[in-house]
Amino acid sequence: MIYYFLLLPLVLLLVVFQKSVLDLFFFGRIGVEISLILVIYAGFRMDTIRGAVLSFIVGFFMDCMMGSVSGLYTLLYVCIFFVSALVSLKVYAEGVILIMTFTFLCALSQGLFIVLFYKIIYDVNMFRNIIWVFLPQALVLSILSPVFFKMFDVFKGSLNDGNPRPAKRS
Amino acid sequence: MMFPKKYQSIAVASLLILMALVMISYNIKLFSHTGFLRKLVLEATTPLVSLKNKSLKVLQENWNHYIFLIGLEEENKRLRKENALLSNQRVQYQENYLEAVRLQRILELKEQLDVTAVAAEVIDRDQSSVIKTLLIKKGTSQGLRVGLPVLADRGIAGRITECSWHVSRVMLITDENSNVDALIQGNRAHGILQGSGSEGCHLKYITKTEEVKVGDTVISSGIGGIFPKGIVLGIVKSVDKMDGGLFQKIGVSPSVNFDKLEEVLVLVFNSGEGK
Repeated sequence: MIYYFLLLPLVLLLVVFQKSVLDLFFFGRIGVEISLILVIYAGFRMDTIRGAVLSFIVGFFMDCMMGSVSGLYTLLYVCIFFVSALVSLKVYAEGVILIMTFTFLCALSQGLFIVLFYKIIYDVNMFRNIIWVFLPQALVLSILSPVFFKMFDVFKGSLNDGNPRPAKRS
Repeated sequence: MMFPKKYQSIAVASLLILMALVMISYNIKLFSHTGFLRKLVLEATTPLVSLKNKSLKVLQENWNHYIFLIGLEEENKRLRKENALLSNQRVQYQENYLEAVRLQRILELKEQLDVTAVAAEVIDRDQSSVIKTLLIKKGTSQGLRVGLPVLADRGIAGRITECSWHVSRVMLITDENSNVDALIQGNRAHGILQGSGSEGCHLKYITKTEEVKVGDTVISSGIGGIFPKGIVLGIVKSVDKMDGGLFQKIGVSPSVNFDKLEEVLVLVFNSGEGK
């Protein structure tokens, strides 16, 4: 239960941190979406209920912070979470290369989805952003993902008395 | 649980995706409307964001200040250097100006006297209590010899007592061995100006009948064959007639400030030339 109590403030802090502080490192040109890595991490290493709730909340906070249509990031993150969970059931999801590749694909897919969403719903052409925004973002995220996976492992371990991966997946 | 465990994931996924789709639909329809939860999140994040912004602002200000200080330090160094350079230049210009003024006066004196004169730089002073001399950077190779009168811009300085090839020693009129035949300009009373060391000079052999006042100018008489006539020696600073002798006791302040003397003029007379 403590997990759900801690979830809201911690996720909120994470989203605020990534939206403000991390943007500074890349001069606001590339958004470092740690929240996406967290969702993938949840898909790989957390049980379904916890991970899904986490993804939903992170997505919702992202919607609020990004100023996008409510539900857009929520939907994306929930989808990414379940895809990650499915992938982790089929392949050995511990390898660095897999984590990086999967993160890259998820980030790029997310970008594509957002572009398509705005094109379909609002008829806004954002395709050039795929090259100049989402591709670099996907590259940066894929490079950073193993590091953040380690960090999340450590954090999760501290919450679970030093055991980073309790076997909870059903 | 209302679902079997094996369908739990699918149920959760479906539920959450459905919720997200509802949210999207609702939001697209009422785009201008900000939902309650969204408002709540925005309100909750505002202090964090403002705190972050303040911290960043402080950091940025400190950084800018630091950068500014670095720039300032560089500028300070440059300005100090420039200031030192300009100060040196100013001092140099001032020195040159003062030297020019002094030389101008000496030149005027030289023109007045209409004799051959050699300007010389003072290179040393011996102003101890007993001996009052100067060393000048001219000697026999420039035509100087012992006995020649030495003038400063304001009057007589002394005479040469030693002379080498390039350096000469000048005995000042304040030296106790110095005696110069003198006149009081106002009443033409005649006496001998003798050096008194640190007290300056005193004028001897002026009888009590002569009217001498403080402030009278004492000039050279031209008698004695060393100093030309009419060159200022000093100013009467004290007159004492109360002494029991025949003569007055007259204190004279030399017109030349020997402590600040930097250039002098040596009058070169040919042997036997009249002055």
